[in-house]
Amino acid sequence: MPVYRQNILLEVARGIKAFLNFEAGLTRGPTPGEGGGIQSLEEAHKRLEDRNRQIAELEKKVRESRSDAPAGDLKPENVVWMFGTARVGSTWLGSMMDEPTGHTMWHEPLVGALFGGFYYGRGAHRGGKHGILGGPDEKRSRAIRAFILASAHEKFPEVSGDGYLVVKEPNGSNGAPLLAQALPESRMIFLVRDPRDVVSSNLSGKSEGGWTAEAYKRGRRQGTPPPSDPKAIVRKGAKKYLEFIGRSKEAYDAHEGPKVLVRYEELRADTLGTMKRIYSELGIPMDEDEVARAIKKHSWENIPEEKKGEGKFYRKATPGGWREDLTPDQIQMVEDITGPLLQEFYPEQQISRAGV
Amino acid sequence: MPLFRSRTAVQLARNARAFLYLDTGVVRGEAPPTLEAMEETQARLREQIEEARWALANRDHRISGLEKELGGHTVGAGNIAWIFGTVRTGSTWLASMMRDGENHAMWNEPRVGELFGSFYERAAHRRDNENFVMGTHRKLVWLKSVRDFVLDSAGARFPKFARDGLLVIKEPSGSIGAPILMEALPESAMVLLVRDPRDIVASALDAAREGSWAYELRGTKRRERRGLVGADDAPLDDFTGKSQEEVVEDQATMYLRYVGNSKRAFDAHDGRKVLVRYEDLLADTLGTMKRIYSELEIEVDGEDLARIVREHSWEMIPEEEKGEGKFYRKGASGAWREDLGPDQVKVVEEITGPLLREFYPDGTA
Repeated sequence: MPVYRQNILLEVARGIKAFLNFEAGLTRGPTPGEGGGIQSLEEAHKRLEDRNRQIAELEKKVRESRSDAPAGDLKPENVVWMFGTARVGSTWLGSMMDEPTGHTMWHEPLVGALFGGFYYGRGAHRGGKHGILGGPDEKRSRAIRAFILASAHEKFPEVSGDGYLVVKEPNGSNGAPLLAQALPESRMIFLVRDPRDVVSSNLSGKSEGGWTAEAYKRGRRQGTPPPSDPKAIVRKGAKKYLEFIGRSKEAYDAHEGPKVLVRYEELRADTLGTMKRIYSELGIPMDEDEVARAIKKHSWENIPEEKKGEGKFYRKATPGGWREDLTPDQIQMVEDITGPLLQEFYPEQQISRAGV
Repeated sequence: MPLFRSRTAVQLARNARAFLYLDTGVVRGEAPPTLEAMEETQARLREQIEEARWALANRDHRISGLEKELGGHTVGAGNIAWIFGTVRTGSTWLASMMRDGENHAMWNEPRVGELFGSFYERAAHRRDNENFVMGTHRKLVWLKSVRDFVLDSAGARFPKFARDGLLVIKEPSGSIGAPILMEALPESAMVLLVRDPRDIVASALDAAREGSWAYELRGTKRRERRGLVGADDAPLDDFTGKSQEEVVEDQATMYLRYVGNSKRAFDAHDGRKVLVRYEDLLADTLGTMKRIYSELEIEVDGEDLARIVREHSWEMIPEEEKGEGKFYRKGASGAWREDLGPDQVKVVEEITGPLLREFYPDGTA
């Protein structure tokens, strides 16, 4: 509101005028005569045009979504997670489960490693409201759910209706709780194996000439190569078991959807019986002949001899082989690190305590 | 034609200004409109603008409804301005100033860039694997998923975000993922904030001392409690147990990776972007802020901006929060000359050489 205003206009000669406009005061809004009004109106009109365009586009999309709603998408309840850790026989089980008509396996997308590695590892200290995976569980789960389903749908558009997608995720099991929370209606297989056999297999692959060591040597794998010291390999392998099987167990215990716990040793001893139990507990209908054919196709005997043996991906398929492969010190190290899980899943086994 | 025109306005308090206008002169024909007449014209314009605003609000409401029907996002990609670079570049300062604009909000280090970027780098050998969730052949698919992930998360974090607002995502620690994020959200604006790497390393060395802000305030304690310190995947800014030499080398390496990736994203980004040197921001804060908003095509009120700059100035930080070992350390550039030894300077210059030469071609900050 101006407190003083003076406008003076004097004709000093014919057609010539002298003027004085003076104004002073206090204001809460823009100062009088402040430029930018026209520019702002133009800006407002420009924005209106933008909005009109946006509305037209969105209305078009809404019309399309009403008439062409995608049909036959993957049902979240038909996602079957396979958690555990590496070297527990997940490739074998996954290959068998890939065979029945309408069933498909997604071989290690590592989506669990993406979210789990960050949430429980690198980003664990950013669990507050600002962290991308921090804050309330439901918000995090909603974002992860959308990510998984979009990726699965794009990768496997053919899996729809009554089809099942078996996601073999041993190396992503460090994110198992997050994935299971994101898809609570999904099904879950928790595949375990004696940690001493797992570490023994690990040691064989990572030792000089082993398939993992060779993969690094030939550039098929990058990053930090595995340690060459057997003791370091054993310690690292046992710690990974503890982490990955531990996370899988956490997810398994909390999961309210259909789930089944499978021990590799039982799968080896009675493959058909265990497969029938898996499908039964997961509530997935199975054709016994089809499953029997899958078992035969993927049996140990059908793997070419040159692909099997020490240092190779297909090594022994013999439970208890650790007794020959590991030294007493190595056994003790594995048992010390994985003790609680070993006792939980193999209560009938005596802890050897360093070669007793 | 006026012979003399003077327009003076002084901010007395927030939203209260004193003004003094003086026009005087001699003309042939019609005298220029009086200030009163100008005010009447402006009042009419204001009325029209108000009507346009009303119409805009109606359209925004309609758009929100349609997006809701489509399952759209609260925060649009075009409403986001990312701040990339690396740690200790003054991103907290810059982001705080940007946050205080009208309808602006700031997301403080979600680390979404680290989530996707670090994983993508670590899994480089798997990118050709057709099953890998971030495989090369499915890049368009997962970029769309990353986009939705960011926008869903931003919407959940800022549910009442204004349609014409600006969400400043301060992401120095997530700059490793800048190329992925900018490719996934090309409509977003990008600020590449750089600082002389020698000053950054000097600042990190100070932060690495036990008892400093980094130890007390950042993740080290929490990581310790979770048994994560020293893990293979510990972030490079986890200083625990490291010698001075290791901190210098790690921080310089981090600079190379984080600023390097930010620069790659900046070069590839076709949208709105601006390169800012911390040293320029420090030397002329208001001028640099104006340049930032101008290049990002974001409207700001000049007086509001001046006020914000004043409120966030070094002088306004309480003395007890400033100094060695604290988050606000020096607020100066070039202090590395006093803080680093010659060997340390050499290590930083060797590791960060290409970036140092590019951003500081004269060799000094």
